[in-house]
Amino acid sequence: MVSVQSPPDGRELSLARVLLLPAILMAAVTAAAVVLVAGPARTAVGVCGTVGTLLVLATAAEAVRRGRGLRDARAEHARHRAYLEQRLATSDEEIDRLGQEVFPTALYRLKAGESPKEVVRQVFEVDPRMRHAPESQRRLIRIMLDIVDEEDLQRDSLERSFVSIARRVQAIVHQQAHELREMEEDHGRNPEVFDDLLRIDHGTALIGRLADSVSVLGGGRPGRQWPNPVALYSVLRGAMSRILEYRRIELHSICQVNIKGTSVEPVIHAAAELLDNATRYSPPSTKVHVTAVEVQSGVCIEIEDAGVILNEEARDRLEGLLEKAKQGKDIQVLSENPRVGLSVVGRLCRTYNMDVSLRASAYGGVRAVLIVPSDMMTTDPAPGIAHGIGATGIPKPELGALEGPKRPPKKRRPTSPRIPAGISMEDDVPEVTEWTAGGLPQRRSRMKTPLSRRLAEQAAIDRAEREGNPTIWSQHKEPEPAQPEPERREPGLWVEAFWEGLKKNNPGVHPTDFTRNPTKYLHLINDPAGTEADDEGDLK
Amino acid sequence: MTPPQRKRRRPRPEHVPPPLPSTPPAAEGGGEEGDKKNPERLYVISGADGARAELDLVTLIVARAAAPPSVTPEQAALLRLCLAPLSVAELSAYLDLPFSAMTALITELITAELVQARAPIVRQALPDRSLLEAVMHGLQKL
Repeated sequence: MVSVQSPPDGRELSLARVLLLPAILMAAVTAAAVVLVAGPARTAVGVCGTVGTLLVLATAAEAVRRGRGLRDARAEHARHRAYLEQRLATSDEEIDRLGQEVFPTALYRLKAGESPKEVVRQVFEVDPRMRHAPESQRRLIRIMLDIVDEEDLQRDSLERSFVSIARRVQAIVHQQAHELREMEEDHGRNPEVFDDLLRIDHGTALIGRLADSVSVLGGGRPGRQWPNPVALYSVLRGAMSRILEYRRIELHSICQVNIKGTSVEPVIHAAAELLDNATRYSPPSTKVHVTAVEVQSGVCIEIEDAGVILNEEARDRLEGLLEKAKQGKDIQVLSENPRVGLSVVGRLCRTYNMDVSLRASAYGGVRAVLIVPSDMMTTDPAPGIAHGIGATGIPKPELGALEGPKRPPKKRRPTSPRIPAGISMEDDVPEVTEWTAGGLPQRRSRMKTPLSRRLAEQAAIDRAEREGNPTIWSQHKEPEPAQPEPERREPGLWVEAFWEGLKKNNPGVHPTDFTRNPTKYLHLINDPAGTEADDEGDLK
Repeated sequence: MTPPQRKRRRPRPEHVPPPLPSTPPAAEGGGEEGDKKNPERLYVISGADGARAELDLVTLIVARAAAPPSVTPEQAALLRLCLAPLSVAELSAYLDLPFSAMTALITELITAELVQARAPIVRQALPDRSLLEAVMHGLQKL
C-alpha cells in the first residue's frame, strides 16, 4: 500500500546501489587475486574473476529489471483496485438511488395513471442523472412496472366484476322489494299471507345489504339513490330493516333532521352495519340503544350494545382495522376478519367524509359513534310516513266528523305484548233469556246476582202478591182468555178521534181543509219567497 | 338480469274507501310512492308479528290517551287521528299502510290501553228474525 505512494526513483537508485556494491566488490577481489597469484594461474584467475564479476553484474541487472517489472505490476494492480472500488461505490450509490428515488417515483407515476412505457420514458430521459443509466437498470424498472401494472389491472378487473355482480343482485333485490311492497298492500287483508310476505321481505333486505357490502368493498356505491330528503328517524329505521334482529334495536331520542337524498344510502348502510355488529356481538336478550343528537359538525348517532367489554387492546385492534379500511388497505385481512362490517363502515366513512369511532359503553359493551357531517343534512322537508302525517292527516271537523269526547290525556305505558284478558272488544249484544207474559222479550242486566238473593227477592215478590199489593216486579197472573176481548179497532182510527176533538171548539177553517180542496191554497206556493229566503240568496 | 315484472293486481274498489278531498299528499301516493320515498320496510313499522286483535275493516278505533313519547311516529299519528272515532279502513288509507300492518299497530296500542276498539255490528250479531217477530207481535198486543 505504502509502495504505491513512494517515489519510484529512490527505490530504483537504492536497488542499483545495493546491486552495484557486490559487483564492485567482486571486481576488486578479482583484481587482488590476479595481482597476488603466480604467472600461470593469473590468466585463469583473471578469466574466472571476470566471468564471476560479469555474472554478478548480469544477476544484478536482471534483479533490477525484475524489480522494476514487479513494481509496474503492483502499480497497475493498485490502479485497477482503485478503479474497481470506485465502480463499486458508484454502483452502490446507484442502487441506493434506484431504491430510494427512482422506484418510488416510477410507482407513484404508475399509480397516478401513466402507462409503464410513459413512466420509463419519464424516468430515464427527463431526469439528467438517469439519462446514461445502463440498459440493465432500464430493463429492471420496466419489468417491475409491468408486473405492478398487471397486478393492478387484475385487481381492478376483479373489483369491477364484484361490483357489477353486486349491482345485478342489487337490481333484483330492489325490484323484489318493490314488488313485495305491492304484494303486501294487495294481500294486506290476509294476515297469514301478510306475515309470510314480511318474512320474505326481511330476507330480501338482508340479501340487499350483503350485495351493498360487496359493492362497497369493491369500490362501488352502496346502493340505490333516494330522490327526496329522508328524515333521520326513517333512515335509522331503514337501517334497522336491513339487519336480522331488528326487534332488539330501540330508537330512543332521534333528533328531527333530514338527510339529503344522495346521502341517505351511505348513512343507512353504515348504520346498518354498525347495528348488525352491535346485535351480533351482544347477548340475544339484550337491547341495542340508538340515540341521535345534533352536534356542531353534524349529527352524532350513538349505538350502544351490552355485549363483550371493549378493552384497550381490542379497541386498538378495531380502530386499526377501521383506519386500514379508511385507507383501503384491508383487502388482505378481510379473509380472516369476521367483522366485515367495520371494513365497510370504514370505506363508507372515507368516501363520504363521515367519522366513526368505538368506545367502551356504559352498558358494558361497545358504543359506536357515527358522525354524519352537516353537509349531508338538509333543511328541505322530507315527505314520508314517519313525520308529517300526523300534522296534516287529521280529517277536519268541517268534513262532517263529529268532535271526539274531550277526555283528559292519560299517561300509560305498554306493559306486555299480549292483550290482557280484561279488555273486551265486544259491544254489549242484547241477550234474550226471558219473555214477559205479554210476549215481549225481556232483557236482564248482566249484573251478577247471587242465586240465594234472587230466590229471596222472588219469594218477597210472591208474598207481596199474595197479600194483595203487587210490586213492579209482579207479573200478571190472570190468564189471558179470562180477560174480556179488547175492542178490535183499526190501527189508524185514533187519528180521526184526535181531529174530531180538535174541531169541536175551533171555529174557522176545517183543519184538513188543505187536503180537501187544495186549489184554494195555491197562492201560498206562487207567492215570492219571504225574507228568510233572501239571506240564502246572498250565497250565490 | 332482473326477473320479469309482476303485473299488479288492482285492488277491488270496495276494499279501499276513496280518499277524502283533503287527504295529504303523503297519503295519496299509494304503495309505489311510499316504497320510493321511505327506506323503512313494513316489518319494522308494524312491529313484531304474532297475535293480532280481531279487527275488521270497519272496526272503530278511539284514542283513550294522548301519545306517550315511547310510541312510534305511526302510532302517534294514529292516536292523533283517532281523537274522533275512525274505522281501521280509514286509518289504513290515511297512514298509507296495508290493513294487516294497521291491525298489528292497533293491537300494540290496544295492549297498551291507548286506544279502544269498538266492534262493528256484524250480521251474526244482529237479533234473529224470530226475536224481531216477537217484538213486533208484542208491540201490536199493547
